[in-house]
Amino acid sequence: MDSTYFHFLDYAVYGTAVLVMLIGFYGAMVKKSLLKIVIGLSVIDSGLNLLIVAIGYYKGGTAPIFSPGFLEHFKSVSKMVDPVPQALVLTAIVIGFGVTAVALALVIRLYRHHGTLNIDEIKNLKW
Amino acid sequence: MVGTPVLFIAIPLMAAFLMPLLGMIWKELVRIVPGLVLTYLLILAINLLDHVLVHGPIIEVIAGWVPPIGINLVFNAFSGFLVTLMIFLGLLVWAYSYRFKRNVDYEPALKYFLMLMMLITGSVGIVLTGDIFNMFVFIEITSISAYGLTAFYKGRNSAEASFKYVMMGSIASTFLLLAIMIIYSQLGTLNMADIARKIHLMNPTLKIVSYIFFVTALGIEAEIFPLNGWAPDAYAEAPGPVGAAFAGIVVKAAVYAIIRYTYTIFDLSGSFNFLILIGMITLIIAETAAIRQEKLKRMLAYSSIGQMGLVLVAFGFGTKEGVFAALFLMLNHAITKSLLFFSGSYLVYNSTEKNITEVNGMSKYLPITSLLFAIGAFAIVGLPPFAGFWSKLSVMTAAADSNMILIMVLVLMVSVIELVYYLRVVNRIYFFKKEENTQPQKPTVNALVVMLILGAAILLIGFYPDAVTGILHKASATLVDKGQYIHNVLSLK
Repeated sequence: MDSTYFHFLDYAVYGTAVLVMLIGFYGAMVKKSLLKIVIGLSVIDSGLNLLIVAIGYYKGGTAPIFSPGFLEHFKSVSKMVDPVPQALVLTAIVIGFGVTAVALALVIRLYRHHGTLNIDEIKNLKW
Repeated sequence: MVGTPVLFIAIPLMAAFLMPLLGMIWKELVRIVPGLVLTYLLILAINLLDHVLVHGPIIEVIAGWVPPIGINLVFNAFSGFLVTLMIFLGLLVWAYSYRFKRNVDYEPALKYFLMLMMLITGSVGIVLTGDIFNMFVFIEITSISAYGLTAFYKGRNSAEASFKYVMMGSIASTFLLLAIMIIYSQLGTLNMADIARKIHLMNPTLKIVSYIFFVTALGIEAEIFPLNGWAPDAYAEAPGPVGAAFAGIVVKAAVYAIIRYTYTIFDLSGSFNFLILIGMITLIIAETAAIRQEKLKRMLAYSSIGQMGLVLVAFGFGTKEGVFAALFLMLNHAITKSLLFFSGSYLVYNSTEKNITEVNGMSKYLPITSLLFAIGAFAIVGLPPFAGFWSKLSVMTAAADSNMILIMVLVLMVSVIELVYYLRVVNRIYFFKKEENTQPQKPTVNALVVMLILGAAILLIGFYPDAVTGILHKASATLVDKGQYIHNVLSLK
């Protein structure tokens, strides 16, 4: 199999992950709506999770599930991709979910208090 | 032995999640259970610390996976000292907040104590764990409960302060995870001792990048300039005892994490000077900002940030004396700043603005609270015979030992600034006429007892510093001995 093709694919995954993170940073830093900021923060998380899974992947690897018949088919355990990053991503997704939920709850509270989602109009504290 | 380190995480976590159920049986239980749990944990911590000082570190393997594969908890003189301090403060915060506001409904009380337990669990976990990803999880537990506690009051601008905190905290967690993954992709391990052993194999550029990411991420929790934008608002908008919990527990855990990365895990040559630099900048900026504040809690928050800067400077000396001075400062800051938050909350209890001018003449109405606030103020500035004197003195001697005369000068200058803004408040309490629209609020009995305990601790350490220096010397020796840490963790079978 052509190895340059797989090299390109590796970098494409990393590039996409970084791109998603940058889009998230743009949303969180530039946008004025509280909701869009929360969405931006959540997009950063997604990009990072993609990056972590990409780090654990290697060419031609298979899912790290040890089932009967695995050794007959793949000949070696080293055909599995690294399961650790996937486990970490699972934890990171749950944490990201929790943070997003807290942030959205705060957005609701801010909206009830100020009647707007525009961050420029919510300035009782120094930013 | 009465227990193992994992109980410090398992028991408060279980208690926190059982509290809604316990509340169904008897509503008062949600206020009582945290106190019982923290009392038990304090006894356990003191017992284990006693054991560790004599017999060496306890390293607990979780779920039977021996390091470097599994997660392990390390309870040595250094982490044990911090855990004991945090749980002691947690217990005091609980006792103080018990009936802090009268007529609080069942539901807010449940949320408050639940999140307080989670905050303590997370902070203790950060200090105990020997695994960098596990540390990330505990940092997130701490942060999420801190967001909730910041937004506790519905009436004030607390949601805004909390949202600011969420934004910074969530970006911090991104950086932290990124740094963890850089290390994992290079070394294939998440265990701190194993990373420390293999760190020389890492690509030098990536090593610096991941160190910077770690310090940035943890710096947000540890209130390092310029990452501390959330802190003054969060301290000012959160309930008074929560300010004490932030200053005494959360920030200590974050500083611990930075120190663990700098001392044990990474072997970068410039990292100690880097700590001195960021510590110095934080110290100067925070103290000059504190002097301009008009609100009492914001002033205390900036003072807290400044003290953390000084702690980092002391850690940055890289010597055993420096670590000793830093730990002494952390101990004194924890008890003193908690006392200031506790007594300060009562000085401006019934005011909406919490301005410094509203403490005028409070000494006639709240004599004990005012006296304790004054003791705290003098102690944090470093006047003898209070506790803060000895820690500032040990910073000075450590700086002199490392030939850093300029730092001694700067620390003295900053102390003068501190003296100015704390004396300004004490002066208002004692020598100004009371404003007409302020209403003094008598502290509850348990709050008074808590403040008296802290005041007594400040005087005790002030007159007999030997009471704590023995533990601090052992703790600092444990931290600087990196080889022993690696050996202890990785020699487990």
